[in-house]
Amino acid sequence: MFRVILVVASYIVCAASYAGDDPWFVLQKTAYAARELNYQGIFTYQNGKQARSIQITHVNNDGQEMTRNVVLDNGVEAGQPREVYSQGSDIVIFRPQNQKMVIEKRRGQNLFPAMLPTELQAIKASYTAHLGALEYVAGREAQIIDLVPNDAFRYSYKIWADTEYGLLLKMAMLDNKNQTLEQIAFSQLSTLNSQDTNWFQPKIDVSKSYTMEDNTVVNHVNNSQVNSNWIVTGLPTGYVKIDHLELNIPGKTAPVDQMIFSDGIASVSLFIEPLTKGMHPKMGHMLIGSTNICANVIDGYQITVVGEVPEATVMQIAKAVSFKKQTVSNK
Amino acid sequence: MKNQLSALMDGELDIESSEHLITSAKSGGGLKSCWAHYHLIGDAMRGDMYLSQNFSSRVMTALEAEPTVMVRNNTMPSNASVTHILNKKPSYKTTKFWSVAASVAAVMFVGVMVTQQQLNKPEQLVPVETAQLSPVETLAPVEIAQSVPTEYLQAHQSAAPSGAAYYIQTASYTEPQK
Repeated sequence: MFRVILVVASYIVCAASYAGDDPWFVLQKTAYAARELNYQGIFTYQNGKQARSIQITHVNNDGQEMTRNVVLDNGVEAGQPREVYSQGSDIVIFRPQNQKMVIEKRRGQNLFPAMLPTELQAIKASYTAHLGALEYVAGREAQIIDLVPNDAFRYSYKIWADTEYGLLLKMAMLDNKNQTLEQIAFSQLSTLNSQDTNWFQPKIDVSKSYTMEDNTVVNHVNNSQVNSNWIVTGLPTGYVKIDHLELNIPGKTAPVDQMIFSDGIASVSLFIEPLTKGMHPKMGHMLIGSTNICANVIDGYQITVVGEVPEATVMQIAKAVSFKKQTVSNK
Repeated sequence: MKNQLSALMDGELDIESSEHLITSAKSGGGLKSCWAHYHLIGDAMRGDMYLSQNFSSRVMTALEAEPTVMVRNNTMPSNASVTHILNKKPSYKTTKFWSVAASVAAVMFVGVMVTQQQLNKPEQLVPVETAQLSPVETLAPVEIAQSVPTEYLQAHQSAAPSGAAYYIQTASYTEPQK
């Protein structure tokens, strides 16, 4: 009996010291805590000069995650706040627009505080994690983890993880001069004891008419269907294709291909669109908030790369597309 | 009247006293669109992806068929008394969908009184975000990119695995910094 207790005790000591020393262990706990715990709070998202406060309610009901995000500080003209409901990987957004309420549907995103994927392997390949100091965020003690990129193709991240529950309390994205580009942090947080989900209903504004968004039709493209007309080579290290979509945007004659690349935490979209009559080809770079955008023209196609990544990354991806000559000459 | 409609959808109002609601909803106007909106919201929250352009007419067709569905069995004469109908608990009463309508009643009780007069205001057709971001088509031929289609930015945010920027997408993309 004593021996069993000793084994258990030593295991606990080992686990504790392991958790304390290994930043990846802390990050792993953070990824799961966001999805498994029941909590309610208010967090603030800052990007450039923009800031918004959002109220979040999250419940894990026997493995089924239900989340409601209500944007608390909108412009007065918007009236009713934007509400984002997610159940599993389905996301429904109620967005005020003039006298209408537009309903949008999305799938599968890691919304705050579930910003980290549960599978950290990809991130480990491109970043080095360091344990930082302890700080208080939203009245809770947090362990800081620094995710430092191994090269210049990604920004660094600073993560504050609740020392008790593991929940991600704050996250910042910093450039190579250590300046904060984007930050998201709880200002108030409490755990929920109840799994009641009566809050999982939109507030209905009878003064507005509800419509589904004027859809950009999105088709997922399987690997077997990949258009062999063009290939992407020479991506920055660590970025892998995670999705390929075909967008039918209203007003555009040809579908636009969108490929999404990610290194596990940062992501970049590559848009490829044939240049048709009346379109103005665009080239160059621009920065909006923390989003870098690069436009390029290759063999009669408009290439646009968009991502919350350094300029070097969007520039390199914008040059990484090549087209098969014979197909182009047939056009 | 709209909160009565919501109560009817929640099965909290008996059919006997709801004939005027159904008649009114069928005849069009505000109540008809209200009925359609509740169904649209319910469908969206339920995860139905088949919403179509003729959604409203589809709902109204279903509405017209509704009294027939509620009759206890096929042998019942078509002019069955409402008492029989009332005895049957609506089959949709237990589905999750209707819980959306349940939340409507309380909101509307206040909301209708405050906002009724706004219902007939004409819709403004220009969406805020597209109006503020210059559409590509209106630009002079340029070599240097100074704007990017809003659809691209939204598509990126929608597809990015970690969607922090989602909450302020409109605002963050209307103030280029460079």
